[in-house]
Amino acid sequence: MKPLNYAILKYFTKVDKASAKDVVEALKPEYGSFRALNEKAVLEALLTGVENGLLEEAGHTLDENNNVVIYFHAPKSGVDTINSYIKD
Amino acid sequence: MSSENGRAALTEQKYQLLKSNFFKKGVLIGGLSGLLYGVYSAFLTLGMARGVWADWYGANTAGLSAFVIAYLLSALGTSINDAVSGVWSLLQAAIKGKLKDFARTMRTKPGWIMVLAALFGGPIANTAYVIGLQMAGSLAAPISALCVALGAILGRVLYKQKLTPRMIGGIVLCFVATVMIGGNALADVNPQAALGCAISFIAALGWGIEGCVAGYGTSMIDYEIGITIRQCTSGIVNTLVVVPLFAILAGNIGLAPHLLGQAWTSAPAMIFFLISGFCAMLTYSFWYKGNAMCGAALGMALNGTYSFFTPLCCWILLGLICQEPGWALTALEWVGAIVMFFGILLIALNPLTLFKKKGQKTAASGAAA
Repeated sequence: MKPLNYAILKYFTKVDKASAKDVVEALKPEYGSFRALNEKAVLEALLTGVENGLLEEAGHTLDENNNVVIYFHAPKSGVDTINSYIKD
Repeated sequence: MSSENGRAALTEQKYQLLKSNFFKKGVLIGGLSGLLYGVYSAFLTLGMARGVWADWYGANTAGLSAFVIAYLLSALGTSINDAVSGVWSLLQAAIKGKLKDFARTMRTKPGWIMVLAALFGGPIANTAYVIGLQMAGSLAAPISALCVALGAILGRVLYKQKLTPRMIGGIVLCFVATVMIGGNALADVNPQAALGCAISFIAALGWGIEGCVAGYGTSMIDYEIGITIRQCTSGIVNTLVVVPLFAILAGNIGLAPHLLGQAWTSAPAMIFFLISGFCAMLTYSFWYKGNAMCGAALGMALNGTYSFFTPLCCWILLGLICQEPGWALTALEWVGAIVMFFGILLIALNPLTLFKKKGQKTAASGAAA
């Protein structure tokens, strides 16, 4: 089992794009008991990933509750960096 | 059609608000790291003036040599502070359910890079700063403040982070402010000053490397786990390597366990070390998180406000509350703080966009009229 933050970034090496909610749903089976696995904390981790060039934004929209949803994507350079630091 | 336009506008508005809140939170966390550094330094100074420390730095009935007082005691103070801070960090990780993730992180490459960053910024930079301070006097402070510029440059070179001419201008302003706050640094030049400056530069480089590398590392590692790695590494290495090393240089290895034992059991001092260690945990974790959220250039500059907050907090705690003389701030220090504020503003924002926004608002209100 990887640390939660590693699993969040690693997820983007396997999907084209995802939102914080998608990440939470995908990691729930393994990390459901982690208090830090919530949309707010995951979104902050993803925005930090963008600030450091690991991820890029891939558009945004409103959900049914009128909350903004940002989609993220890992560019090739980001995928390479994540894979070089975080092994499977 | 208008409903679609309205929804698109609402989406954009909410998106910009979210992004703006993220940026503001990063700036707040970075600024808090500077303020808390001041609080931690003030309590550390207070701790190192109480209990057994009061004798060592005062009457010196223990008969410690000038070398021990100048170098070994500084390393001892740092080692206790960082070790206490490491224990606080472990407690925090345990309470928040992150202890297992801490252990998992320690088995990975980013975890060890964090250890390396901690070594640069902890034992290496702190020791260099203490030696620099002894050899170059207050010149060591502005030289070591170059860590802001070095961190920004390293962030640009290593991680391709943004560093525009405007940001460089802001960093220069922050450096000027630190020199102003440092006071009559140039008056302290002595024959050893050049070597002292070179050694102080090692401190700047160490903190620059730490801020930049650990900030980037915090994009992968949870910042509370990052700080646990930092403080445990620094506490252990300072206690087991740096303190004994200075004891050997002082000609008596036995001094290390002897002084460590006396300091750790000095209750009047340890109360303040408990507080300084707690504040150190907060300031370093906010430094890492601020750097990760804002990039090294802005994050380092925000943390660099410690050069003003440290004398400010020392004045409040030691001067105003404890009524000890010699801690009042000079007018130049206040002016330096204002210059530093504008330096940070210049790194964070393009002043032209502020004028543009103001112009747009004026035009809009003119049109409405």
